[in-house]
Amino acid sequence: MSLQQLNSTGFEEIIYDNCEPCLVIFSKKECHVCKEVVPMLEELKPQYDEKFGFYYVDVEEDKELFQRFSLKGVPQILFFNNGEYQGKVAGKVEEESVEEKIAEVLGV
Amino acid sequence: MKRTALTQKLLVLGVDGMDPKITRKFLAEGKMPNLQKFIERGSAREDLRLLGAIPTITPPCWTTLATGAYPGTHGITCYWRQSPESLDAVVYNMDSRNCTAEQIWNITAEAGLKTLVWHWPGSSWPPTSHSENLSVVDGTQPGSVNMGVAQLDWEKVIVASPEIKEVRYAPRVDKPAGVGCIITDLEDSLDADVDDEMMELWWGDTAREGGEIRTFVMDDEDTEVVIGSKVAYDIVNSPLKDATGWTNAPEGAKEFTILTSGGVMRRPALILKNEAGEYDRVAIYKNKKAEAPIVTLERDEMVAGIIDDVTKKEVTKPACRSMKILELDPLGNKVRLWISNALDIANDQLWHPKSLFGEIVENVGVVPPVSLIGGEDAELVREIFEPSWVQYNQWQADCMNYCINEKGYEVVFSHLHNIDCAGHQLWHLGKTLSPWDHTDEKTYQGFIEKFYIQTDDYLGEFMHLLDEGWTVLVLSDHGLIVGENVPPIIGEYGGLNTKVMEDLGYTVMKKDENGNSIREVDWEKTRAIQIRSNYIYLNIKGRDKYGIVDPKDKYDLEEQLISDLYNYRDDRTGKRVIGICLRNKDAVLIGANGPECGDIFFSVEEGYNRLHGDSISTSEGYFETSVSPIFVAAGNGIKPGFTTERTIRQVDVAPSVSVLLGLRYPAQCEGAPIYQIFSEDV
Repeated sequence: MSLQQLNSTGFEEIIYDNCEPCLVIFSKKECHVCKEVVPMLEELKPQYDEKFGFYYVDVEEDKELFQRFSLKGVPQILFFNNGEYQGKVAGKVEEESVEEKIAEVLGV
Repeated sequence: MKRTALTQKLLVLGVDGMDPKITRKFLAEGKMPNLQKFIERGSAREDLRLLGAIPTITPPCWTTLATGAYPGTHGITCYWRQSPESLDAVVYNMDSRNCTAEQIWNITAEAGLKTLVWHWPGSSWPPTSHSENLSVVDGTQPGSVNMGVAQLDWEKVIVASPEIKEVRYAPRVDKPAGVGCIITDLEDSLDADVDDEMMELWWGDTAREGGEIRTFVMDDEDTEVVIGSKVAYDIVNSPLKDATGWTNAPEGAKEFTILTSGGVMRRPALILKNEAGEYDRVAIYKNKKAEAPIVTLERDEMVAGIIDDVTKKEVTKPACRSMKILELDPLGNKVRLWISNALDIANDQLWHPKSLFGEIVENVGVVPPVSLIGGEDAELVREIFEPSWVQYNQWQADCMNYCINEKGYEVVFSHLHNIDCAGHQLWHLGKTLSPWDHTDEKTYQGFIEKFYIQTDDYLGEFMHLLDEGWTVLVLSDHGLIVGENVPPIIGEYGGLNTKVMEDLGYTVMKKDENGNSIREVDWEKTRAIQIRSNYIYLNIKGRDKYGIVDPKDKYDLEEQLISDLYNYRDDRTGKRVIGICLRNKDAVLIGANGPECGDIFFSVEEGYNRLHGDSISTSEGYFETSVSPIFVAAGNGIKPGFTTERTIRQVDVAPSVSVLLGLRYPAQCEGAPIYQIFSEDV
């Protein structure tokens, strides 16, 4: 299931205003590692159904968001809950570490 | 031999950078009534001067005050210490273990007096006595308590208006005066090295573990007066629009966004209307679902002690901040807001015993952050920088009075940094010289006055002690001058000064493809370097890593170098800018000799001095300023209403404390008690 893209405005509304627990992958079209990590997230998404949001930001289309989080390189997966930043994982990550981080954010 | 004590309780009120000459100007104008009372009830020289140690640099002078020894003897000879490995690098020096002289507070504590050493930036941390009577708070940097270790986030200015379409964040922008806070070109404003925070570089864990610091002062742009007057803070731009999606937003409220924690934390905020329909308050929330705000700010009021979570390097902790509205359009079309840096509210790393930290937080309050922004931006100096120090001064006075009144401390050695901190940012603007001719010296002379008035208020917090059997010493490490001229590129305490030494052919820097000097010393051609405030090191074979000067040529080369320095002329004025030059062996005359003082000591001539540090301790500047420290004593054991002609030296303070408390002198003390001011013959 494909991930919903966020721009700067969408980011404000969905991540912060709605306060839902979620992750956002910052990625780039031409990045090889992103091409492996994004599909993994797409596969993972249905398992969490309504409980955890999955989004992506294209850093070339939304540079400000990339700079605002002082990120260096892609892909990077940022986690949020209640509108609060909960940490990030970077690079070629395994499904298990994403699942672990989600569990940590959800407090289960 | 035992002596009878002249007092049982003694407070040293140290004020970093307090200058007797300009103090007398403000006293004469009736602007420092509390100090006036201390003088009337105590003893001082007519000119209020203390003859300062050399160099006129913070850690050496505070160490001299604490030990009664000259810098050449106690070994703390500048802000930083020469790196043992490299001639062009310095290492951290505010570590008591580098001090080779005994501190007076060890003597008072070991004699059974409950002693507090509060933020004394010269050989106080870590504690050097095991006595349970000794308490020490910080002292690892001169700024403010916990500044070096507890800082989690930087200062910010938030600008929100309906014209701004999306939230933007620009970290650590060096903003020249007159430029607004609207981010137009994010690419240009981004600094790649924002992680290298000055606080951590100079005073953080790595520095304190002995890491080398390399700073090259090559031209005016590298000097402190130029760097310090630029204002660096994070800028956040946000849309300002009708509040939507809030659980509890009042009618008519408009929303904007604040980013903290290097951009990863976001706090939604509202501007609120009063009954007359004008926007006059800002409420900041954790998120839009929150029932109540973290804080509601009113116009013209700086609110301190705001506790909120801050994330740094992926760790989230509660931190303390201050905030103030800079501008709020009553019609709701613009808001500008300042938020301070954030201090970790639980960091007790530099408190001994640690229990004192908890007691202070519980009974007085969390450590408030001070602002470090201002410089050439007069609005920020007036609205933020100066008031943030007023708040900090009050907190510090409350802490010390709490310790005195409730905790039974009998001897207190304290230091406050307000004047020196302001001096380093503002004093050079007290004379309008060409590099800063877009500023007005009258405005900045007014700020100098404000900092002396707030210092007088601070001193007034301790006036009651004179009626409670205490002896109070008001003193400083050095003054700060308003420069008559733009200083030459020699004698800046922060690092390796290259320009004059390059002009004279002693220091050679490597060159780029265009023949311009780069920031790397060419050791194969360098015969001598000038580093820290007043020191020149020859590059000696067998002694220095890349030495080229034969040790047998050392004496002759020193002679030539001293002649060349005296003959050097400032390229702006054509005048001599070097004051005195002494070989290491001869510098014993001024107490600046020994292994930590290089091969040659020199000073910069009066008229060409920077704020402090490069001159001898009697130098004077523009606007009735001087680099002299101050000394006033009052209370038990001190003659009331007495003026002495005695030259009081900084080395005389510690032995005077010994006499007043009936204790022995510090082991390496080189001064003598100021017996002329004591109420009894000693």
